[in-house]
Amino acid sequence: MAGGPNELKKAVALLALLCLTGRAHIGEAIWLTIPSSGTKCVSEEIQSNVVVLADYYIVDDDHAHLRSSTISSRVTSPYGDNLHHNENVTHDQFAFTTTVSGNYVACFWINGQHQEGAGLTIGLDWKIGIAAKYWDSVAKREKIEGVELELRKLEGAVEAIHNNLIYLKNREADMREISEITNARVAWFSIMSLGVSIIVSVFQLWYLRRYFQKKKLI
Amino acid sequence: METGCRFTKLLVSVLLLWSYLVTPISSLSVTVNDVECVYEYVLYEGDTVSGNYVVVDHDIFWSSDHPGIDFTVTSPAGNTVQTQKGTSGDKFEFKAPRSGMYKFCFHNPYSTPETVSFNIHVGHIPNEHDLAKDEHLDPINVKIAELREALETVTLEQKYLKARDARHRHTNESTRKRVIYYTIGEYLLLAGVSALQVIYIRRLFSKSVAYNRV
Repeated sequence: MAGGPNELKKAVALLALLCLTGRAHIGEAIWLTIPSSGTKCVSEEIQSNVVVLADYYIVDDDHAHLRSSTISSRVTSPYGDNLHHNENVTHDQFAFTTTVSGNYVACFWINGQHQEGAGLTIGLDWKIGIAAKYWDSVAKREKIEGVELELRKLEGAVEAIHNNLIYLKNREADMREISEITNARVAWFSIMSLGVSIIVSVFQLWYLRRYFQKKKLI
Repeated sequence: METGCRFTKLLVSVLLLWSYLVTPISSLSVTVNDVECVYEYVLYEGDTVSGNYVVVDHDIFWSSDHPGIDFTVTSPAGNTVQTQKGTSGDKFEFKAPRSGMYKFCFHNPYSTPETVSFNIHVGHIPNEHDLAKDEHLDPINVKIAELREALETVTLEQKYLKARDARHRHTNESTRKRVIYYTIGEYLLLAGVSALQVIYIRRLFSKSVAYNRV
């Protein structure tokens, strides 16, 4: 009880430290460099019915501060539909649930004035599936905390692994089927090619015989 | 006052647990024209950085295997931590000698752009030093962290298998299409060549061309 204000101070200090180091969204952020002209695209092959949560921001190094440039982004589905489009921002986020499985592409480019050869570094926080789950709301809803919450997360991870395994198994079965069909086709088409070649040469001979007989050469 | 105490304890423990136990994993594909670099932040010294990458899209016509992509990991101090040359996909793992921003670069020595799908995972397991520093960490948190790391290893491996499967599927589709189109093309070509032969022989015997040329 006596440690109450101290603990609160510690919590605030930790939060401040996290915010200052830019790690407040303790995330899986990777940094990418966008070229000064042209776009930088990242993509991922995602199954259908998966939640995608992404957050991008300009990394504040010395140059970015002076240049006041902004970035734009566009996210497209495998069929080319525009899922998210935003221009002239320094920090943005988007979320969507995939409806079809395929290649989802997110492209970034720099707006406004860009100096020669100077790219821009952006941080991208891209989470799909189980990693995008908002555990805070689960914790609040089910009133679990600490170790139990961590074990719940582990359970979620195990379930995701299981689903992935089933997905891989199905894909492997599909591919085996395609391979076997292709194998059968190669054999069949090769024999047919022999047949076609024989038929064509027989036709040639018959036609030429008829032609020479007509010309009274035979 | 009691509830306030408990709340702050809960808040701090959740925050600290979260900061120790969140293990980031990034999985994306980039198209490599010449050099593409990805940066990932390693929070603690001694963290295990593991990952894999697969060259997914390659439209090589004749040769059976990709000539290779070079992969380099550079530490924040500028030293090269790991290099792999001329592979079409591989796994890597190393213990980070210091915390900071690590650079993972893919270099494509050839002119055709390639798509590389990569996964990077930074894992931290709290050790006795962290346990001593913070009284909210039990040994159970260490065990949970180890479990989580093991699960993340499995997940990483699965993503690698998924990327390899995607590449294999690409090759399979290409083979299937080639078998059909090249065979039909072969048949048409055969028929066309024999028709040309017949026409040529007819021409040799036709009256308009000089009789004695044959």
